[in-house]
Amino acid sequence: MIRLAIDIGGTFTDATLIDEETGEVSIAKVLSTPFDPSVGFMSAAERILSEAGARGADVRFVVHATTVATNAIIEGNVARSGFVTTDGFRDLLEIGRQTRPSLYDTRFEKLPPLVPRDRALTVVERLGPAGEVLTPLDDGSVREAAATLRAHDVESVAVCLLHAYVDPAHEQRVGEILAEELPGVPISLSSDVAPEFREYLRASTTVINAAIRPVVGRYLESIERRLADAGVTSELLVMQSSGGVYSSSAAARNPVLMVESGPAAGVIAAANLGEALGYRDILSFDMGGTTAKVGLIQDGAPSVTKDYSVGSHTSAGGGGQALSGHPVRTPVIDLVEIGAGGGSVAWVDSGGMLRVGPRSAGAEPGPVCYRRGGTEPTVTDANVVLGRLNPTYFLGGEIGLDVEGARSAIEERCAQPLGLDVIEAANGIVEIANAAMVNALHLISVQRGYDPRDFVLVAFGGAGPVHANALARDTEMPTLLVPTSPGVFSATGLLGTDLKRDASVTLLRRLDELDPREVEDTLAALEATGAAELEREGMPRDRVAFVRRLDMRYVGQSYELTIPLDDGPFDRVQADELLDRFHAEHDRTYGFSAPSEPAECVSVRVTTVGRIERIALLELGRTSGETLPKERRPVHFAEAGGFVDCPIYDRYALRAGARLDGPAVVEELDSTVVVHPGYTVDVDPYGNLIMRRA
Amino acid sequence: MSRTSIDPITFEVIRNAFVAATEEMVLSLRRSAYSTNIKTRADFSCAFFDADLRAVAQGFTQPVHLGSMVEQVPRAIRDYGPGNIGPGDVIVTNEPYPSGVHLNDITLVSPVHTDGEVVGYVANLAHHVDVGGGAPASIGAFREVFQEGVIIPPVKIVEGGAIVDDVFRLLLAQIRSKHETAGDLRAQVAANATGVRRLQALVARRGREAILATMAELLGYTERRARAELAALPRGTFEAEGQVDTDGYTDQPVRLRAKVTIGADGVTFDMAGCDPQRRAPVNSTYAQTFSACAYALKCLVDPDLPVNDGFYRLLRVDAPLGTVANCTWPAPVVGGWETQTRLVDVIFRALLPALPDRLPAGTKAMMCHAGFGGVDPVTGAYTCFLETFGGGYGGRAASDGPDAVQAHGQNTENAPVEETERGYPVRVDRLALVEDSDGPGRHRGGLGLRKDFAFDRPTTFTVLADRTKEGPWGALGGLPGARARFVLVRGGVERDLDPKSTVDLEAGDVVSFRTCGGGGYGPPGERDPERVLRDVLEGKVSAERARDVYRVAVDVDARAVDERATAALRGAP
Repeated sequence: MIRLAIDIGGTFTDATLIDEETGEVSIAKVLSTPFDPSVGFMSAAERILSEAGARGADVRFVVHATTVATNAIIEGNVARSGFVTTDGFRDLLEIGRQTRPSLYDTRFEKLPPLVPRDRALTVVERLGPAGEVLTPLDDGSVREAAATLRAHDVESVAVCLLHAYVDPAHEQRVGEILAEELPGVPISLSSDVAPEFREYLRASTTVINAAIRPVVGRYLESIERRLADAGVTSELLVMQSSGGVYSSSAAARNPVLMVESGPAAGVIAAANLGEALGYRDILSFDMGGTTAKVGLIQDGAPSVTKDYSVGSHTSAGGGGQALSGHPVRTPVIDLVEIGAGGGSVAWVDSGGMLRVGPRSAGAEPGPVCYRRGGTEPTVTDANVVLGRLNPTYFLGGEIGLDVEGARSAIEERCAQPLGLDVIEAANGIVEIANAAMVNALHLISVQRGYDPRDFVLVAFGGAGPVHANALARDTEMPTLLVPTSPGVFSATGLLGTDLKRDASVTLLRRLDELDPREVEDTLAALEATGAAELEREGMPRDRVAFVRRLDMRYVGQSYELTIPLDDGPFDRVQADELLDRFHAEHDRTYGFSAPSEPAECVSVRVTTVGRIERIALLELGRTSGETLPKERRPVHFAEAGGFVDCPIYDRYALRAGARLDGPAVVEELDSTVVVHPGYTVDVDPYGNLIMRRA
Repeated sequence: MSRTSIDPITFEVIRNAFVAATEEMVLSLRRSAYSTNIKTRADFSCAFFDADLRAVAQGFTQPVHLGSMVEQVPRAIRDYGPGNIGPGDVIVTNEPYPSGVHLNDITLVSPVHTDGEVVGYVANLAHHVDVGGGAPASIGAFREVFQEGVIIPPVKIVEGGAIVDDVFRLLLAQIRSKHETAGDLRAQVAANATGVRRLQALVARRGREAILATMAELLGYTERRARAELAALPRGTFEAEGQVDTDGYTDQPVRLRAKVTIGADGVTFDMAGCDPQRRAPVNSTYAQTFSACAYALKCLVDPDLPVNDGFYRLLRVDAPLGTVANCTWPAPVVGGWETQTRLVDVIFRALLPALPDRLPAGTKAMMCHAGFGGVDPVTGAYTCFLETFGGGYGGRAASDGPDAVQAHGQNTENAPVEETERGYPVRVDRLALVEDSDGPGRHRGGLGLRKDFAFDRPTTFTVLADRTKEGPWGALGGLPGARARFVLVRGGVERDLDPKSTVDLEAGDVVSFRTCGGGGYGPPGERDPERVLRDVLEGKVSAERARDVYRVAVDVDARAVDERATAALRGAP
């Protein structure tokens, strides 16, 4: 049997396929088809199946990562939705957080809500903060709201009632009545989608879910139909933002869980590779054409956040306070994303200083050297001028790079205004981009209390391995790992991703008043639900495991830290240890703890994991002698004082056990690995490059 | 272009590291603070100064702190004596005179030592929900600064890395919400420690010389860019007047006046003509007025321009001593931000004729505080709540003023209803837009917002706001936005509260904040009928108002503009 994975990105759709018996991996890359992503999906799937000589019936399952959910929101391609909330709070979405998206722009616009005000309706009911009923639900008011929504011909409805995270009974009743009154219209309840307090964040999450539900549902249906036409009738699994997969039917009900599907795949790929090789603590570094993304994996688990907005931008120096975008409060793999990619534009500002980004030349027109009409020098152009990228072997020679064009653009637009020579300017562009990425690595590690020197850097994406060695050097990370086919690494990671369900219940209790019995019962109930869901998707019970966590804070704080629990029943002993663990975690994260202060539990979380069988990595043949470069060319390294005559290796000719000394460049179809002087590369038994200081 | 000792590559790398360091401070403070005001509403800012106490980099969440920290931090250090501050020490202050702000804003400053020498200072300022004084949340119509809470001259709150317990306890003893304040102060200490560590690491990595050279060049670089921006602004002198509507005691509005001169060398803000200071919550300190001017100027230049001493060099603020734009001891300062934000509005009004495409009509331009508190009968703890509310933004040349947003230097988030109800003895009955509160115009002003707080026990409640007499002004033919109202509902009867007052609430009382709409831009009769239709269908503007003010007839059932009736209303041929 084989497994098939499809990862749709902005420019390319990547396919990977693994043979479960032999462990052999195939890859394919086709252009994405933004007008109908399922077209690119199928052409990638069909190409890889035919190249591998496989039949549709051989496919055990298909895993898919996609930006379709995010794009629907950003492009406004959303369903005609309705919003139902508690009487008095019709304008929750209109008011949002009452902030402006930019501090000094007097011409700012507030992002319009996904549901306009004429489709925002209220029902008569009210709960208090403990779930007590202050006003009983008036069924008649729900039927009236339904009538209005029917008149508006809505395709989807979001319901978010105050304090429904404590007691969902009113929301569930509203859902029942709406289902009766609006047959065929999907209803999303906030108590299902994101049962957490803070009404605007919960409402926004629920509205996003409702607004993209029809679009995502149709998309998944069309893919399943096309797959079936191609003879693939096995299950379609979709990557969630939190880093597990779920069935396409679950995805169609809860599409908000897949908004960051694509970026999550890369981090999971790094975690899975680390698991196979015995690395538990990893910083993942994914650099493409427009941005670089870094993620943190600690003890095998990617760090996850719930502070996220779709379509947001953050202001520099604002501490990541997302002032714009639609907030999402479901778990998302924690990524620091910065506008430094191969296409980031280098420019000289009005103060006479060299800047890189945040603007990107993107795929169109792209860097100057792509010869597609780009005139502004980019990071990729600088790498070409420095000899790091091979002008005749970029993307395997598909694009012949214009070195002279890149050089004169840097000369005119950067070097001359700064009074530098063109090589100094090109090197400066790379150094500035690298420094921004080092800051991002610091932000995700040091700022959260981790020391990057304790982590392994895993670099991928087309541009990642070009820059990674310099980043490892500047952050003093001892080990850098470049996987095989780094350009399609995210898609490869999909092949070994576990099924996952995240569930949580708000349980606000002071720790000294915590009844371990109650916590254990809550955890057990969440586990039973999670296991039943995965079993329905065909996951055998003996492959299901649980991760238990509590969200905790000091009484009076309003952000929580998530503390993992031990396996085994939650009892008094665990409850007592929990407090020490919380103080320690607070100290690690924020640099202080307050052992004399009371702490409280805020919510109980269970992640149910259905473990997908891992396939052993395919071993590469061992080298039988010296590894010879395919050619030599001048490559610039500032630490060597300029250009050096540098050996260039063909990655596909490398065998296990080979050792290369920097300076060196290793080229393959989808990426280029730059090895700085003073570093050595060992090829591991599976073909991964392990780079360390010599 | 002048070149200095530092190469442009190293410069850019280190400059970004400075920004990253302040950003990390911001994150650290926001994530670990206790109070909703700091964590959720983000009412704080962080900054980094060179050894000569010139601002180098600032990490803002609240632009009002622009300018105020650059006044307060250098003075605090000079007063204490730089030589008396050692590694691991932290200075705390909130002293308003001669150059601070209101008492709720507590600033912590830490020196950054490397090899025994000071390379700079990091500081953060946070708005504490309570600092003692005459009413919960430390806001109210006070007569003197002594009624407003604990005054902290520059003293050490941390010495050699350890909290100075005597100072900490003395301070907390003055404060109602001790638990939150203690947590927030610890978070402020931790944020500075983060900043110190980052800068020390940067010096270790890049070398002291490169860091000092970058700091110096950064100021020159910023000044060069700021001057290039200045050259693009219209030269001339521009004047406007405005007012703070009430002072909490008299019927006399507080007159404000701003004369802005954009010249070859910089921009001068002359505040002569503002009323004398009062024994009422309407007095802005020099630091607050400076901050208003800095904010207004920052809005007119490239948003990418760094904010540091190089930018401030372009700015000159003349505010006569003893006026509401530069008050002297012992005048109360709690209402200073109300006056400060209105000064921005007056400055914009002065400049709008010269920059009609850039500036909005009158905006909310009040901080608009609600504060309440009381002793919990069960735990005996004193809880205090503070929130500020958005309102209508002014219409602009190309677009409507957004509804229900913060304006000018203020960008605090609202307090989530569910978080409020869980943490405080209050119920929020309503959170809504105020329909028909728009200032009519070709581009209408934004709507105000309404938030109703209901109490089931006696509670001390303070309103510190404005805009009850005059709505935000309309521009170029636009009309003013609706005025604000602050209403006490007792036994079903509504009574308007003075916008600067403290009331003792009874069980069952409701206080309803209804903030002002933004001013309109351009004549309302020129508004696109399709936009009027959209507003009517969404219930933001009534059909009657559409007809009477915008002169557009809407057929609500057909969800369409009645073209013929509209033509008749608008007197078209």
